[in-house]
Amino acid sequence: MEESFNTEKSGSFPRLGRRRSKLETSSFKLEHVKTKEPDDKQITGPGLDCGLKRDHMLEQVDEFIGNLASAQDKSISPEIPDFVEPFLKMVDSRILTYEMREASAMFGQNQEEDSLFFEAVIRLSKVVDSLDEFAHDSETTGCFNRAGSILHHAMSLLENEFLALLDIWKRSCNMSILDSKTPKTPKESVFNSNQPETEIEFPYFPPESISVMNRVATAMIFAGYEAECCVAYTSLRLKALNAEFYNQGYENINMEDFQRMEWASQEREIENWIHIVTYCTVNLFPVERNLCNSIFEHDSTARRLFGDLATSMTVKLLNFPNALLLIKQYSTEKLFKFLDIHETLSDLISGIGNDLSTKDLISETSLTQHRIGEAAVSIFCELEDSIKSDNGRIPVANGAVHPLTRYTMNYLKYACEYKDTLEQVFREHNETEGSTEQEPKNATEDDGESTSTSHFATQLRLVMDLLDANIDMKSNLYKDPSLSYIFLMNNGRYMLQKVKSSTDIHEVTGNDWLRKRSSDLRQYHKNYQRETWSKVLQCMSHEGLQVHGRVSKSILKERFKSFNAMFEEIHKTQCSWMVSDEQLKSELKISISAVVIPAYRSFLGRFSSHLDTGKQQQKYIKYQPEEIEGLIDELFEGTVTSLGRRRHIHLSHGR
Amino acid sequence: MPSTEYQGISAPLTNLGRSLLPLRRDQVHSMESPIGGSPSNEVELESFQRQVADRFHDLASVPSDELLSLPWVRKLLDVFLCCQEEFRVILFNNKSQVKKPPMDRLIADYNERTVKALDVCNAIRDGIEQIRQWQKLIEIVLCALGGDSNSSQRSLGEGQFRRARKALIDLAIAMLDEKDSGQAVAHRNRSFGRHNNSSSHSRDPHHRSLGHFRSLSWSVSRTWSAARQLQAIGNNLAVPRGNEVLATNGLAMPIYTMGSVLLFVMWALVAAIPCQDRGLQVHFNVPRQFPWAAPILSLHERILEESKKRDRKNACGLLREIYQMEKCSRLLGELADSVQFPLSEEKEKEVIQRVKELKLVSDAMKEDLEPLEKQVREVFHRIVRSRTEGLDSL
Repeated sequence: MEESFNTEKSGSFPRLGRRRSKLETSSFKLEHVKTKEPDDKQITGPGLDCGLKRDHMLEQVDEFIGNLASAQDKSISPEIPDFVEPFLKMVDSRILTYEMREASAMFGQNQEEDSLFFEAVIRLSKVVDSLDEFAHDSETTGCFNRAGSILHHAMSLLENEFLALLDIWKRSCNMSILDSKTPKTPKESVFNSNQPETEIEFPYFPPESISVMNRVATAMIFAGYEAECCVAYTSLRLKALNAEFYNQGYENINMEDFQRMEWASQEREIENWIHIVTYCTVNLFPVERNLCNSIFEHDSTARRLFGDLATSMTVKLLNFPNALLLIKQYSTEKLFKFLDIHETLSDLISGIGNDLSTKDLISETSLTQHRIGEAAVSIFCELEDSIKSDNGRIPVANGAVHPLTRYTMNYLKYACEYKDTLEQVFREHNETEGSTEQEPKNATEDDGESTSTSHFATQLRLVMDLLDANIDMKSNLYKDPSLSYIFLMNNGRYMLQKVKSSTDIHEVTGNDWLRKRSSDLRQYHKNYQRETWSKVLQCMSHEGLQVHGRVSKSILKERFKSFNAMFEEIHKTQCSWMVSDEQLKSELKISISAVVIPAYRSFLGRFSSHLDTGKQQQKYIKYQPEEIEGLIDELFEGTVTSLGRRRHIHLSHGR
Repeated sequence: MPSTEYQGISAPLTNLGRSLLPLRRDQVHSMESPIGGSPSNEVELESFQRQVADRFHDLASVPSDELLSLPWVRKLLDVFLCCQEEFRVILFNNKSQVKKPPMDRLIADYNERTVKALDVCNAIRDGIEQIRQWQKLIEIVLCALGGDSNSSQRSLGEGQFRRARKALIDLAIAMLDEKDSGQAVAHRNRSFGRHNNSSSHSRDPHHRSLGHFRSLSWSVSRTWSAARQLQAIGNNLAVPRGNEVLATNGLAMPIYTMGSVLLFVMWALVAAIPCQDRGLQVHFNVPRQFPWAAPILSLHERILEESKKRDRKNACGLLREIYQMEKCSRLLGELADSVQFPLSEEKEKEVIQRVKELKLVSDAMKEDLEPLEKQVREVFHRIVRSRTEGLDSL
């Protein structure tokens, strides 16, 4: 391909080309006759003579340009001085010399020579521009045509060098692309990037070629060839970026195909997508922006070019989240993937940067992000619906923590790791919905915590309230009120512990909620005590035992009998009940012991003497206070104890 | 608006459609009363059919030299967006019906079609991007030959001609690359032989890269085919059976209508704009009694005819502006081939004239290409939105 390079110019333009190529050939030959090393001769050649002559000629050209610019009457054709032709010849021969070199390595062999060439091209461009302003006679027309052709030739040379340099990425990473017929997964490519052979960092440009590209671009833009330069730049950078996407294991997925996938595959695609977008945000785009800035001196050009590239790449990436919106089920577990995407898009938006050239791109990205946010809102609302619709009639055995409580609380705890994103999503949602949502009532009482007024907190509390209501409803399924309270305590305690154990969710719920929850729990505890133990305590009341001023043995026997029966029944039943939170369990046992043991001890101390020692005492006083304490300690373990004869668990299966 | 020109033809067609509608409506009505259908529903459905018909009559009233022009394609997309919007309202007003069979199945079918249309939108957007690249090359030509506003005073020198020639060749190659790839390779050399005497350009690194650039820049997967996608969109698109119409309270009709509108609009887009594996072999079996059938079928026929014209057969897109772009740039290229310097006044005039023509095309592109792209995006987003709304309500 390099061989064809030199013939390219003339080939494209048969008639003109033929004429010109004769000219080129002659000057080319001339060079060769003079010296065997045309490259060095012109600049550093034998003697200062040549250099001095050249400097003089260039001064004259500059003067000529100055005269043309200051001429008053542009309708008179200017005279073309004699030194113009040698100047044109010089530029032309320099072009030919450069053309003989390998593309992508034309410049940089001799700095002085390169500078001279670029300066000469700038001069030539000024000559052409200045002549353009004048009316032409045959002499100026001839000069204008010749100068214009040489300028174009120079521009083509520069453009080709620019393209070759830009295309260099291919040479450096060709191997790795060819090696991987199938795209790598992100993990593999991360692994590979640690290996020495692919160590070259994107975009693979050594500083020397960047400086040459900068020179070329500057000269092209100066000569009015900005469009060519930008087209070349954009198309090759796009090509490189696309190849880099491929290297990173990213391939386009049709919307239709994505929609057909199983969630597990979709999840993998989401991971892959997040990887590539993050890679763009963190690596590709900053690098690409730097490259633009270092090649193009004008800020506006650099921005526009970067904006175009970022747009081309991002537009493709945005199809994916849109495809995700079309999946058939918004089930609750998908929330976190949506939030991941939402966060990835936020980073992308800040990575692209807001600027005139990226305005449309940003608005499109934001729109997609907004949609993803809306989807996250509806998924979160799925949770509410699933709580509302969870109205099974069968209570959980032994009053244990309900699976719904576990699921919901764990879900919320996880969701709170995304609380900032969820806050943003719900705020946007409420804003677009015209915000009919009521503000949380207790906002002002809440220690002035700003989170209490947040949109997400409102939503979170709504879910917790729904869960509360649902658990309340479920507690009514137990026939035994005591078990209801144990159930309420278990679930309430679980919620409380979850909130306490994570600062994220604690921040969102606020202290007020915790206080309320704790006082509810205390109330359940009291209610349980009352339900289960008040009758037991009545047996041990000192009142009502005396008949005509004397302790009635029969009443006393009755009291002992019913205490024993009640206690045994409670023990048998409540040993099978389940309190999984150790602290709650020991609190319950301590409080029961604190009420029952002293009462029993005092009852025993006061009245045991009224029973006949021996057989009667053995029959009616079945338990010593220490034994009672031991038995209380066996409660709430979810086990069937030795005391129990029946394995029947006291649960209601009715309505 | 050119719609008035065709009033004479469109009116009887509309009447034909209308005369059939009450018949169907009566059938629906007799069955639907016990279920509790509302009369407003019928009015709404009938008005929908009429609106769709009116819109397509308006589109079909385009003179042949404006068919498939950028403004016409934009209008086509507007029509789609309007129809889709009205359709959405109908579904919204009949929420209760939407979840019931067979309505749920019909809607799911339609949704399947729209998802397929999303990929068409993406491919079309890529195609528009491609046209924009051509447009940039044309701007170089105009910049060189004084067609752009900034340099209108420029003299037409040899250097400028060389510059323009180069851009024109790049353009010709870029446009060739868009055509069916198998054809293009064979075609390229031939047309090169015609345009210039050397084929060395195709081996130039720059030109090769332009060719490669294209294959990498699509948003759809490599194996995706617009032709297959269109067929898939039209797959099983059948006029609802009587019992379906009855069971859905007449709602099966607008769903069928939208399916047909979607198919036609996507087909016409693929016809107009370059995209991966174009192909127009789609059957439209719309019964003529639908008031919108006549204009759609007539447009379908006219576009097919257009695609069969000798000079359009190998076109990468039937968009009128692409054709003009190709023609103007080819003529200008031929003219540039023939000029000698110094330029004769006669030649100069001719060149100025050709440049003017090219500028007209370029201006039309500049004006409408970006709005068209936005519209394609709008179609995409509307479809996505209607889908997500659907999920919300179900």
